[in-house]
Parts: sequence; structure tokens; C-alpha cells
Amino acid sequence: MQSTQEIFEQLRGVLHDLFEIDPAQVTLDAHLYNDLEIDSIDTIDLILRLKEITGRKIQPDQFRHVRTVGDAVNAIHALIQNKSAAA
Amino acid sequence: MSDSGLPNRAWRVFATGFSFACFGLGAVLMGFTAWPLLRLSSRNSRVAVARVQRAVSASMRLFVWLMKSLGLLTYEIRGREKLAARGQFVIANHPTLIDVVFLVGLMPEVDCIVKQALWRNVFLRWPVYWAGYISNATGEGLVAACVRALHEGRSLVVFPEGTRTRPGEPPSFHRGAAQIALAAQRDLRPVTITCEPITLYKGNAWYRVPPRRPHWILAVGEPIAIAPFLAAGEPQPLAARHLTQALEKGFDVSVAQQSGGKN
Repeated sequence: MQSTQEIFEQLRGVLHDLFEIDPAQVTLDAHLYNDLEIDSIDTIDLILRLKEITGRKIQPDQFRHVRTVGDAVNAIHALIQNKSAAA
Repeated sequence: MSDSGLPNRAWRVFATGFSFACFGLGAVLMGFTAWPLLRLSSRNSRVAVARVQRAVSASMRLFVWLMKSLGLLTYEIRGREKLAARGQFVIANHPTLIDVVFLVGLMPEVDCIVKQALWRNVFLRWPVYWAGYISNATGEGLVAACVRALHEGRSLVVFPEGTRTRPGEPPSFHRGAAQIALAAQRDLRPVTITCEPITLYKGNAWYRVPPRRPHWILAVGEPIAIAPFLAAGEPQPLAARHLTQALEKGFDVSVAQQSGGKN
């Protein structure tokens, strides 16, 4: 079971690998679109990568309300919790 | 003969309004007559769409001819022959309202991306529908539709800025064009557009005609190879960022040279 802090660190790594986003810019309040310039096409790639990492199917719906890095961390956390609850 | 006198300017305001009225009325008229007839002229929808696109291209040339004949503009096309080949992925900067009119006029069969608002525009919705243009409504679907068009051997024109350039600022590109090029594995054919003095820019009403008759230059450049960006083995989002940066830089230079070198 991962803590939100661990998820946050991992997400930072993913954002750097995929989009070359400076980890210093990635804060919980950072807005994915406005601050980090992640566009709708990037979002698809990001969700694909998160699927690989979490081993969990992700419906784009579950990310529809994600605006900030913090939102994303919470969404991923909820996903993982669901998985361990189901297991 | 003075080009900037008041009577001349008043004439250009009137003639610009007349030209745009012709454009709108022509679009509506054709949208209900010639274009649907052409679209239904073959059961093969690709053949039919190509016929509509050629006719639209001809009407764009007619519109440019009209504006030129009325003394509203002059223009020059550099390297026009480079646009003759089919299946090209053309990108251009977007300083003015009528850039697409020039480009579509230069390319007899070409797909372009039309923003959602125009699909609801009373003048343009039917022409863009019959010509089979691509809507920008969805991010993922948009890239896929553009890639499909290129893979089917059609030409495509995209303005990577997504909207007209803010005057005085360098072009700022979205990454969609790079994403399309990388996904379709197509090199990009750049067209640098400048207009001097600038007119019909973003936020500039059509009746605010410039002090002098404006002159457009459309310069067709050499292809930009995507191989180096694919060869690096980066994930596509990263490659798209690097390609976009390279495209922006290239246009920065070509726009500056073209507008600084001649006016």
C-alpha cells in the first residue's frame, strides 16, 4: 500500500520521463494544463503510463475532474485502494 | 499616385466589405447548390470529396483574385511548385484571417482542421461539411483523423498556433502538429506567411483597413525531417515537445527574415 507521498514522488518521476517537466515545478497545487502545459494528447499518454505502473485499468472518466497534481495523486490513490480492497 | 490618401482608404473599406459579403453569400449559395451536387456526384466518397475540395480551392483563388482586382492586396508566392505533390503535411504560421484562403487556393485537394465554432457558422457550416474538413472538437480523435487523412494520401494543412498570431509576439505552437507528424511518420512542409502592413489580425476588425495596401508573402520552405526526432528513441510526448520547439524556432527565424527583409 503506497502512501500519497510515494505516489506523488512517483508521479513526479513519470512527468519528468514523459514530458521533461522539472520536478521542482511539480507541486500538489500545480495545475496540469496551465502550469505544467500538459495538453489533452499528453493526458492520454499519461493515463497509459499510469495504467502500466498501477497495473489497474483506468477509465478516462476517473481523470475527468483532475486539474492539479494533487487531484491526480488522489485519483491514483483511490485506484490503488480499490485494487487492494478487491484483492 | 498616392496609396494612402483618404478616398483610397474609404474605397478599401467599402471594397473589403463587398469582398467579404461575396465570400459569405458565395459560401451559402454554393453550400446549398454546387457543393452538395459535387459531393453526391460519385458513390465513392473520396472521389466526391476531392471534387468538392478542388471546387472550393478554385473559389478561394477567385476570392483572392477579387481582392487583388479591387486593389485590396498584393501577394507573392515563393516556391509554389513545392506544393504540387500530393500527400503533403503543410504547416504554416497564422498572422491573418485569410491565410487559409491563400493556402487552400494553392492546394487543389487538401484537408484542413476547422474549429468547432465554424461548424455552427451559418455561412460556412455547409461548405466545410461537404468538403469533408476535420473538426477540432476532440483532442485524441483530431490527431487520429489527421493521421488517417495523411495515410490515405491526402494533403493536410495545419496552423500549429491553433489561432491567429498575436501581433508583435513570436508564433507560439500547440503540440498537435508535431503529434500528427510523429504519429503519421510524415515530414512537415513549412509555409511562412507574412503580411505588411499587418491587417486582419486577431482582434482587428475587417473595416480597420491598414494605411497602405497590404502585401502578403507566402514562402514554401524545404521539408522538416522528423527522422531525427524519432531516432532519439524518446517517448512520443517528449519527441513532440522537442519537434514543436524546433518548429517554433524555425518559424521565428523565417518570419523575422521575411518581414525584416522586405516591406
